[in-house]
Amino acid sequence: MAEFLQAAVNGLLQGGILALVGLGFSLVWGVTNIVNIAHGAFVVAGAYVGWELHDSLGLNPLLGMLVAAAVLFVVGYGLQRGLVNLVVNAPVWMTLLLTFGLQLLAVNVFVKVATSDYRSIPTGWAARSLALGDVRVPYGRLVALGVAVVCTAGLVVFVERTRTGRAIRAAGMDRSTARLMGIDVRHVYAVTFGLSAALAGAAGVLVGMVGTFSPPDAARYTLFSFVVSVLGGLGNMGGALAGGLLLGLVQAFVGQYLATTLVNAAAFAVLIAVLAVRPSGLLGRPFYETRVEAR
Amino acid sequence: MGRRGTTMLAGVLGLTAVACGGGGSAGAKSKDGGGKTLTLAAALSLTGTQAREGVLTREGYEICQQVVNGKGGLKVGDTTYTLAITYQDDTSTPDTAANLVDQFNDKGRKFLLGPYGSASTSAAAAVVERNGQVMVDSAGADDTIFTKGYRRTFAVLSPASVYLSSIVKALAELADPKPKTVAIVSADDGFSKTAAAAGRDEAGRQGMTVADLQYVPNGTTDVSAALTRIRGGKPDVVLGSVHLAEGIAIVKQSGELGLRPSAFGETVAPPTPDFVTTLGAAAEGVLGSSQWTTETEGSDAWFGTAKDYAAAFRARYGRDPEYHNAEASAACLALVEAIGKAGVLDADKVRDALAALDQASFFGPLRFDPTGKNATKPMAVVQIQSGKAVTVWPKSAGTAALRWPAR
Amino acid sequence: MTRAGAVVAAAAFAVLCLLPAGLAPGDVRTMTSVLLFATLASAWNIIGGFAGYASFGNVAFFGLGGYSVAVLMTKASWPFLPSVAVAAVLSAAFAALVGLPVLRLRGHYFAIATLGVAEGLREVVVNLPRLTGGGAGITIPTLGARATTHYPGTTGFYWYALAVLVAAVAVSAAVSGSRFGYGLRAIQLDEAAAASVGVRTTAAKLAAFALSAALTALAGGVFAFQQVTIYPERLFSVEITVLMVVMAVLGGAATVSGPVVGAFTLRLLDEYLRRHFLGTHLIVFGAIIVAAVVFLPQGVVRCSADAWRERRLGLLDTVRAYRL
Repeated sequence: MAEFLQAAVNGLLQGGILALVGLGFSLVWGVTNIVNIAHGAFVVAGAYVGWELHDSLGLNPLLGMLVAAAVLFVVGYGLQRGLVNLVVNAPVWMTLLLTFGLQLLAVNVFVKVATSDYRSIPTGWAARSLALGDVRVPYGRLVALGVAVVCTAGLVVFVERTRTGRAIRAAGMDRSTARLMGIDVRHVYAVTFGLSAALAGAAGVLVGMVGTFSPPDAARYTLFSFVVSVLGGLGNMGGALAGGLLLGLVQAFVGQYLATTLVNAAAFAVLIAVLAVRPSGLLGRPFYETRVEAR
Repeated sequence: MGRRGTTMLAGVLGLTAVACGGGGSAGAKSKDGGGKTLTLAAALSLTGTQAREGVLTREGYEICQQVVNGKGGLKVGDTTYTLAITYQDDTSTPDTAANLVDQFNDKGRKFLLGPYGSASTSAAAAVVERNGQVMVDSAGADDTIFTKGYRRTFAVLSPASVYLSSIVKALAELADPKPKTVAIVSADDGFSKTAAAAGRDEAGRQGMTVADLQYVPNGTTDVSAALTRIRGGKPDVVLGSVHLAEGIAIVKQSGELGLRPSAFGETVAPPTPDFVTTLGAAAEGVLGSSQWTTETEGSDAWFGTAKDYAAAFRARYGRDPEYHNAEASAACLALVEAIGKAGVLDADKVRDALAALDQASFFGPLRFDPTGKNATKPMAVVQIQSGKAVTVWPKSAGTAALRWPAR
Repeated sequence: MTRAGAVVAAAAFAVLCLLPAGLAPGDVRTMTSVLLFATLASAWNIIGGFAGYASFGNVAFFGLGGYSVAVLMTKASWPFLPSVAVAAVLSAAFAALVGLPVLRLRGHYFAIATLGVAEGLREVVVNLPRLTGGGAGITIPTLGARATTHYPGTTGFYWYALAVLVAAVAVSAAVSGSRFGYGLRAIQLDEAAAASVGVRTTAAKLAAFALSAALTALAGGVFAFQQVTIYPERLFSVEITVLMVVMAVLGGAATVSGPVVGAFTLRLLDEYLRRHFLGTHLIVFGAIIVAAVVFLPQGVVRCSADAWRERRLGLLDTVRAYRL
């Protein structure tokens, strides 16, 4: 029983981080129909910002997270405005290739500038844990899950209640009509991309706080983002959170009761099963089901 | 498709000429200042997933080159050669490493230094064998490389099977009270599995109970499932047959999950400086196996003792050498010694000289068994004490006492 | 294929036949890898270019082909040629099987599902160590009594790779001009409309996927034997899928010559950069991919055709079409 509960806790906490990693990816995919392979590079970039701030200024990683998010927002906005915008209307594979090129570029620049050493943002409290009987709940991961929930809720409120948020939704549903309504779609797309990068950056700092990171990890985070987004349904913020938690739980239980080497295989098996049975995501209707593809 | 096809064809052929021909000119034998140059060749992971270790290996080769040339070069027969080493990037992929070995052969490079990692070394060794080149392996430890009947690849480092079993031996000899149960977490690549199996067998021989052996995906940063599974058995010692990422995760997540054995023992990870900087206080007391430490016994004419080697390395790079640096330098040393002993730049003669090599060095004894493994060299066991990896085994003059229980 | 096209193809073939005589063995080996990548790109083009189903998991068939050959030669002691033939059939069957659910998806969803299939297959190979050697890799015996087939050496593999490429180009050309090929193009433009004019879309898509898988597996089999020891990380590397897509698209998707031209250009460029920009070549390569996607999204073949026809280089035309 203790093992079952511990596996469930491990899964939920790991799932919180995965959810935050995938949240921005899902947002961009849902709104702009771009699958951003470079998303994992944003995560790693955020981790470096947090690490550098802690290393040189001694800044608490939770504050560093805010700085990382701000920096990554600017980077994301600029990249969308200056580069990704050029191929928004191109076929699927063009955007995949463009962002793959960006990822390759970014990862190798990281290796050149920061070397491929493993890094971690050391915090004394993050590795301590709360003991509930035989079940341990590590504080660092608990905070990470909390941040993921807060970010998701914040994003939902932002998208539903603010003017910019509504513009994002409108542009995601029907770009031409949004334009006719006087929405500056270019700006809105860039804001979306910036938000996505900011969330990735924040997730990166958390990853650095509870574990280790190095440049080649970027590809893995992109892959997890795929799975989280598909499980949750595109552009569905609550869905991304649920998708992350589900992925974490599946990995934890497979590791606990089948074999620890099968955790990644399980993730892909779930992905394929969900795609085959319910391509619109596991959790209810996709947010942009009514999307009108603009030309 | 007519005309544009023709232009295309011309363009592609032009590219072929540029890409393939370009390398040829760079391969011309460099002769500067009238002296003769002997060029060794190495395919290294300068980019890709193993870039970090690839660069460490390169530094080890470079310091060897500097030391040899600083002592006036290498005397082969009646001629003295300046040593040069040409590097190519294998992008951390075995097929590229194999391809590079062929390209080196085209340029007449018969004497090779090994790439980083067991996969690339294995791929390169197969080609070396066919081309009649000679390679000294600095970082391919998996024992299976030496079961394929290759006769032209020699490894200066101790094979994978020694990594984890050394830690078990050290614990059996030094720990008091002696640990009764061990649990092993192993990555699922060939090198780690070989090491884990040998560690399990050694633990059995030393009268310890192996409570559990769990495999985790190579390179993972989340090992919580494996740790939760072994936690119930309350093992005295948790052993990791792993690389740096999994090694850090084991110690970190054990703390999170309340798994508190008397000690952790891990291959590869603990002697790496990143291990201590990443884990901080949590690294205290962790045992690790190392190919080389500054306490390694033996000396040679080029580098002197292990401490002299460390001093020379510090003078050039401004930091302490890691064992990845030392094993690379030792590979270069073995090749240089063998070429000197052969007295002629002939691959077959140098191969025979390597097979017959038997000498002490800063890296420990350099002597190869018929399969090409360095059979006699022991591995050292280190323990993190006050943020530093100190040597605790095998016992000799310079080693520290084992802190026990370690945590 | 036009008559001029046939002439160019024959000339290219003749040059490729003469090439090993003029190159050093290491460069022959590089050219072997170029030929294999040209095969992979041509094979991807059948499902990704003609039918417009952007598979991001074609490396699954490369790995499946390679591992089938390795396992058959090692565990069943089969010679190489029957092994590689069986590998192609196995991969085609596997593609048809996973194609049934996966080819119902479109666009990004199809791309991700295929990616998932490739990653999942790699995990299966890692977790079957008795059969595949798992993460420790599997070694095809090439020395002594256990060797089933004489190891053909550097030039031998060049001929194998050339044969496989010729097969891939021949199949592409046949598909391109056939009723089947026009059916695939119709599916790419509008699947519902294609079905309404009598294209049996499901059968056509499955056939294209299986054909693509079989050709990919041939290349994987040759690669595995050449490497002797193969590892799951390399044989199922996402990077290989991405390279085949980049090559096919930048050469010109849905053309016969495009993927071949793209593979030659990019693979040789990559080799050149690797030799001359030690340690930074992937940065340069990444930048080149980004620039090529922006400026040459129609592919080299179509872009140069347009430039020839209109007597001007329209690098920015496509940017105008695709930007927001």
